[in-house]
Order: sequence, then C-alpha cells, then structure tokens
Amino acid sequence: MKVFGIFVVVCLAFASARLTCEHKTPKIPDDWIDMSSICVKRIRSHVTEELKAAMQYMAMGAHFSKDVVNRPGFAKLFFEAASEEREHAIKLIHYLLMRGQLTSGVSDMIKRNLAPSTIIWSDGASAIRDALQLEASVTKKIRELIKTCEGEPTFNDYHLVDYLTGDFLTEQYEGQRDLAGKLSTLEKLMDSHGALGEFLFDKKLL
Amino acid sequence: MVLGIMKTVILLLTFAALALCADDFCYKDTQRACSPTSSKLVTGVPNCNAKYGAIDKLQSSLQKYTNELLYRSFDFLLMSTFYGNYIKNRPGFEKLYRTYSDSLWNDGIELIKYIETRGGTMDFSNIPNNILNLENDGSESKPSPKPNWELNEYTSLAKALDLEKELAEDIFKIHLDADSLKPGQHDAEVVHHIEEEFVSKHRDAIRKLSGYTYDLGKLLDTPDASLAVYMFDEFLQNDKY
Ligand SMILES: [Fe+2]
Ligand SMILES: [Fe+2]
Repeated sequence: MKVFGIFVVVCLAFASARLTCEHKTPKIPDDWIDMSSICVKRIRSHVTEELKAAMQYMAMGAHFSKDVVNRPGFAKLFFEAASEEREHAIKLIHYLLMRGQLTSGVSDMIKRNLAPSTIIWSDGASAIRDALQLEASVTKKIRELIKTCEGEPTFNDYHLVDYLTGDFLTEQYEGQRDLAGKLSTLEKLMDSHGALGEFLFDKKLL
Repeated sequence: MVLGIMKTVILLLTFAALALCADDFCYKDTQRACSPTSSKLVTGVPNCNAKYGAIDKLQSSLQKYTNELLYRSFDFLLMSTFYGNYIKNRPGFEKLYRTYSDSLWNDGIELIKYIETRGGTMDFSNIPNNILNLENDGSESKPSPKPNWELNEYTSLAKALDLEKELAEDIFKIHLDADSLKPGQHDAEVVHHIEEEFVSKHRDAIRKLSGYTYDLGKLLDTPDASLAVYMFDEFLQNDKY
C-alpha cells in the first residue's frame, strides 16, 4: 500500500513536470486570406521549378570547374545563377507567407527530386544556350502562373499578378537578354578562333 | 611494309596501354600529342588531370555529403518557412533556421568546387539514404515516416541539434576513411580540407543549439511558458544570443 502511494506520488510529480511545449493556437479572423487555392498550389509548385533551375545551374557550375574543362569564368557565372534561383524560390515563399499561406503543408513543399537532368556540355556556348532555354521555359511557366491567378472566375489576384509581372517577369526578360547577348558575343569570338575565343571569353566572365 | 605498319601500331598500342595504367604519365601524353607520327592515334592527354592521392576512393562519399548539405539546407528552409507564417509568427526562429539553411547551401557549393579542385566530378543523383528517408535495416531499404518540419519551438531546436550532429558525424566518417593509413586510401589533403572547412563550423552550431535547447527547456518550466517562448524568440532575433 505504502509502495503504491509512493508510486502515485512519483507519477503525479512526473505529470506536473511535463513541459508545456504546444501553446494555444489563437483564433484569428481569416477573411483577409483571399488567395485562391489553385493559385496557391501553382505558386507552391513553382517554388520547386525555381529550385530545379538552381540545381541545373549548379551542375553547370560543377562542369566548368572540372580540371579537364577549366573555365572558371563560366563556373562563376553559373554558381551565382544557382544561388539567384534559390533566392527566387525564397521570394515566392515569403510572398505566400505575407498572404497568410503556409500555415500547414510546409513539410512536403520541397522534395528530394531536384537532381539536374543535364550534367555535361560540349563547350561554353552550348551551356549558355541551355541556360537561355531554361530561362525561357521558366518565363513561360510564370506566364501560365499569371494566367491561372488572374483568370480565376471569382477572384482576380491583382496584387500577386502585379508582383509576378513587375518583379519576376522583369528579372526573366533582363536575364534572357543578358544571356542572349553573351551567347552572341561568344559565338562571334569563336567564329574563326574557336578554342582561343572561348578561353578569352571565360576570362572576361571572371 | 604492311607488317612494318602493324608492328608500329602494336607497339604504339602497348605503349598507350602502359601509359594508361601508370600514374604519372602526363609528360609522356604531351610528348605523344606533339609527336608527328602518333598524334592522331591517341587524342588528348588523358593523364594530365588534377587527380592524386585517394580522391577516386573518397569521391563518392564526398558527393553524398554534398547532396546531404544541399537537401538539409532545404529542410532548414522549410523549418524557417513554418516559423514565418502568421500563426507561428516567430521571427527569431525563422531567422535562426534561415541562417543554417544559407550556410549549408553555401557549404554545398563550396564542396562541389572542392571535389572539382581535386579532379573529381559531382554526381547530384548520389543521394545518401538518410536524405532519401530510407532506413537501411540490413535486408532492404524501406521508407521511413515522412519528414515533418512543422514542429513546435522546443522540439524544432532538438531536431536542428540532431541534424547538425548528423552532419558533423557524417563528415567525421569521411575524415576517418581519408585518414586511414591504408595505402591507396590515405589522403592528407582531404583530411586537412575537412578539418579546415567543416569541423569547427559544426562544433559551434552544435554548441549553440544545445545551449538554446537547454535555455528554452528551463524557460518552458515556468508558470508562463507562452510568454517565455515569446521572450526567447525576441532574444533569437538578437545577434548576441
Ligand atoms: Fe528564377
Ligand atoms: Fe533565372
């Protein structure tokens, strides 16, 4: 009996020693949360698109860092582009947070499927050409995103559409112009002096 | 005449084969590339690379570790994201996990550059089992429960601490391989690089997180735990804590 009494006391002591780790979830009005669910879903998957682009650029950076490729200027350009793409993903995440999203379903937003598809390029020009194509495909996806989010019959998401148009599309078009210009200069340099042209262009990128 | 050419070809092929098995024949490669008779037979200078030491043996585990760094950086990004929503609303935690995410991302890029410096290549599909959420129980791999990055404050610190320890121990394993005195496996330069770049970084993160976990545990054990977490988060926003 005595032993049982002690047991109960110990149990009670343990019960009261339990830490309160979860705190109350406050009741917040939610009429301000007005994004359409399909639009949210598309933005969430575009986060993955940006991260995939990041990893693709990362593979380009890795390729041009190889001892038997040795184009540090190209490598620098692509590694920097990789981190920029990651920033784009984070910008979208922050936008969703600002609009009251991402209170749940966060854990499965980024999956383990980001390995890049292409990992080898025959020369610098072909990598820049791939980069330009990658950017064009991302631009297309952002345009589709815009269509989804403004085309909703009941809710045109003016603010998001403005953000995507003004911020993201501007960056896409400027980036594409930059890549196209680089490719043009490089191809002209390589017209009659292939190896030398690429070597010089690489040093200009440093 | 034909016999003579054949003899030369056989001789050259034997020579090429010999050169490929040897370990220091860049000079011969370049000689061959410059020689008027054989420059068309063997293209390039296959032995003129940056490889030495045990990089071939260690490359795969370095690739795995790079992928671990990159995917863990995404995991920390998700933890940070969760604390940035309006219900959690903990800017201190959001900032803390974002810092870890950024630093792992940069470490991943730097490790790729390092692998390439040593003449290796990066393989983005060489992802370790702990990242693929596969538990290796000896017989076969099976998926473990889905990762959950939507944790309360106290357990999220514990999770972060565990992750940092895992990263620290995984690089120790590569260090052990590189430091083993078995011939063909020893690589003093990899050992040095790991010590220089990773070892103390992990030590500091682990110490910091264990301190945070201790403090928050103490603070939660007070009558107003909810207020305590608010204060703790305020301190996390401060760089001095
Ligand atoms: Fe982008
Ligand atoms: Fe981009």
